[in-house]
Amino acid sequence: MTSRFTRRMAARLGLAAGLALAGAAYAQAQTTLRIFTGGQQRPDVMRQIVDGYMKANPTVKVEVEVGGATSEQQQQYLNTVLASKDSALDLILIDVIRPAQWAAAQWAEPLDAYLGAEKDAIMARYLPAYRAANIVNGKVIALPYFADAQFLYYRKDLLEKHGLQPPKTWDELKAAAQKIMAAEGNANLRGFETAGAPIEGTVCTYLVPLWGSGEDMLKDGKLNLAGDAAKKPFQLWADLKAANVTPPNLAEIPTDRIRQNMQAGNLIFGMTWGYVWNRLQNDADSTVKGKIGVVPLPGFTADKQATCIGGWQVAVSAFSKNKAEAAKLARYLSSPEVAKQQAILASHLPVFPGVYTDAEVLKANPWFEQALPVVQSARSRPVTPRYTEVSEIMRTNMNAFLAGTKTGDQALGDMTNRLGAIFR
Amino acid sequence: MSDAIRHRLTPLEKSERRLGFAMLAPAFLLLAAVVLYPIAELIRNSFHFNHLAQPWMGTPFVGFENYVKALGDDRFHEAVLHTVLYILVTVPGAVVIGLGLALLANQPFRVKWPVRLGLLLPWALPLVFAGLIFRWFFEYNQGIANAMLRGLGLEPLNWLTSPGLAFFAICLAIIWKSSSFVALVLLAGLQTIPKSFYEAAEVDGATKWQQFREITLPMLRPAIFVALIFRTITAIQTFDIPYAMTNGGPGNSTETLAMYIHKTTVDFLDLGYGSALAVLMFIVSAVITSLYLRHTRRDPGRH
Repeated sequence: MTSRFTRRMAARLGLAAGLALAGAAYAQAQTTLRIFTGGQQRPDVMRQIVDGYMKANPTVKVEVEVGGATSEQQQQYLNTVLASKDSALDLILIDVIRPAQWAAAQWAEPLDAYLGAEKDAIMARYLPAYRAANIVNGKVIALPYFADAQFLYYRKDLLEKHGLQPPKTWDELKAAAQKIMAAEGNANLRGFETAGAPIEGTVCTYLVPLWGSGEDMLKDGKLNLAGDAAKKPFQLWADLKAANVTPPNLAEIPTDRIRQNMQAGNLIFGMTWGYVWNRLQNDADSTVKGKIGVVPLPGFTADKQATCIGGWQVAVSAFSKNKAEAAKLARYLSSPEVAKQQAILASHLPVFPGVYTDAEVLKANPWFEQALPVVQSARSRPVTPRYTEVSEIMRTNMNAFLAGTKTGDQALGDMTNRLGAIFR
Repeated sequence: MSDAIRHRLTPLEKSERRLGFAMLAPAFLLLAAVVLYPIAELIRNSFHFNHLAQPWMGTPFVGFENYVKALGDDRFHEAVLHTVLYILVTVPGAVVIGLGLALLANQPFRVKWPVRLGLLLPWALPLVFAGLIFRWFFEYNQGIANAMLRGLGLEPLNWLTSPGLAFFAICLAIIWKSSSFVALVLLAGLQTIPKSFYEAAEVDGATKWQQFREITLPMLRPAIFVALIFRTITAIQTFDIPYAMTNGGPGNSTETLAMYIHKTTVDFLDLGYGSALAVLMFIVSAVITSLYLRHTRRDPGRH
C-alpha cells in the first residue's frame, strides 16, 4: 500500500471520526433508548407508558421493540443479540426466572451504582419475592416491572348454574368439571387446561403439584426427586386425563391458547396467569365478559395450595451505550405509578403491596384483593445460571408424558438423569 | 482443466490468467469470510469448553471431550436417527412427486403460467411459513385434517402430539415444500431431451411407458442426480418445518440433528458441545455429497 493511499485513508477516517463526534453531540441532546418486550407482555400498554415518559422527558426518545410470543422464544432471540455483545438494545424485559443466568453471563448492567444511596430503600418497597429474584450475589440485576402468578380461572356462570362453589382441591375440580360437562352436553366444552406444549409454562405444570404435595425440586442445591412426591404431578394429570377433564390435545396447548379457549367459551377451568383477566373482560371478541371468577389454584388438600411465581423485570443491557439514561427509564418503569397504570390497563399484578388496595385498581380487578396473598406465597422455579437447560429437560419430559409417549416413571427417570448432570 | 491448456502459456495468456485471478479475488475473500472462517472457528470451538452461561469456567482446551460426550449422548443418537428417517422418506418422496409434477408441467398446455406458478409457489414460500401452515392443518381442534375426519364420522387424531402421526405430518409438509424445487430441476432436464427421440420411438411403435423408461428416465439421470444431491443436503439440515410444526415434540420424538444443535448452542449457550455436534453433521454431509459426486463423475449420464 502506498503512503499516499494511507494518507488519504487517514484523512477520510478523520472526517468520519469528526462526523461521529458531531453525531454524539447531537445524541446527547436527544437520547434514543430501545426497549425490548415480548408480544404477550402487552407492548401496547408499554407504548402508552413510555409515551408518558417521553412527554415528561423531551430529550429522550424511547422505541419499543416487540419479539417472541413466548418466554423461551424471546430468550432465544436475546441470546444471539447479547452473545454477540450487540448494543442495539438498551433495556430488556426479562422473565423472573432469568436474572441468575443474566448475572452469570454478565449481560445485565448491575444497577447498584445508578440507585446509589437509595438502593436499599428502593428495593425495600417491592414484594419480598421480587426483591430476592432481582438481587443476585448482592447486586441488583434488574428492577421488577410487574408481578405474576398462576391462578384458577373459572366460569362463574356455569358453576352458579350447577350449584357449585369454586374448587379448593383437585378432586373438587375434577368432580365439578365432570358434573358441568355432563349436564351441559356441549361437545366443545372442556373441563380444565394448563400449559402442556414444550414451552416454559409447562415447567409449572410439573412444579405446582410437586409443591402442593409438600416437596421442592431442590434441597440444599441437590436434586430432590427420588421420593413419592415427585410422582404426584404425573398421577394428578393422568387422573384428570383419564376422567376426560383435560382435553386429548393437552400436549399441544401453550399458555395463550388457554386464554383463547376460555375467551371462546370453551373452557370451564384454566390454570393461567394474571394478564388473562383483562383480555377476558375487555377483548371485543370475548364471549365470557362478566362470567369469569379468579381464585387461588387448588391443592391436593384445601390447606396446601401452591402456585408458580412469574412476572417481568426491566434489565439494562451491559452493552448499552446509554446506561445512565436507560437506568433512569428502568426506575420509572418500576415505579408505583406505572404499576398502577399497568394494573388498570392490562390487569398486570403490581410488585408493590400498596397498589393492590388502590381503589381504582380494585375497581378494574376486583379479584386483586385475593391475589396479594397468592403472589406473596408463590414459589420460584429453580434458580440457576443453566436454567434454560433445566427448563428444557422438564418441559420436554412433561410434554412427552402428557402426549402419552412416556409413562410417568419414564418421564421422571429421564428428567432425574439429565437434571442430575446439572445439579451435581 | 486439461493438461493441454496448462503447459506453455503465452505471455498474453499469463496476464489474462492473472487478471482472472484478480477478478476472482473479491468473491474468494467474501467466501472465505462467510464460509471458511466460520468453519475454522467452529472446528476450533469444538475442541474447547465454551458455555456462555458459565463464563467463569473460561474456554479451556478439552481435546475430543465434546466428541466423546456426543457418542454417549442418547439425545444425539435419537436426533441422528430422526434425521436419517426424514432423509429416507422425504428424499425419494420429493423426487417421485417432483418427477410427476415436472412431467405434468412439461405437457404442451396452451396456457403455461398457472402450472409454472403452481410449481414455483411452494418453493418460494419461506420454510417456516410452510411449517406454520401445516401446523394449522393438523391442529387438533381447528385443523382441516381433523375437520375432514369428523366430517367422515371418525374420531379426530392427535396429529402433532403422537410421534408416528407427527412424523407423518412433518414428512408430508417437507415433501410438499421440496418437491417443487425437484420439479424445477427435472423440468429443465426434460426440456433438453430432443423431441426427435420420441418421434423415432413413436415410429418404432414404442408405448408411452416404454418411451418413459427408455428415453425420458435415462436422459434425465444427470438432472435426477443433481436434484438428489441438493434434496439430500437440505434433508440432512431439516430444521424449520419440524421446528414450526412440533418444536421437536412430543417430548423430543421429532427432533432433528439441526434442531438439537440449535437448541444446544442458541438455547443452552453451550457453544463447545454444539460446535462438536455441528462438525459431526458437517462431516456426514460432506461424506454423502462426495459419494454422490463420485457416482456422477464415474457415470456422467451415458446413453
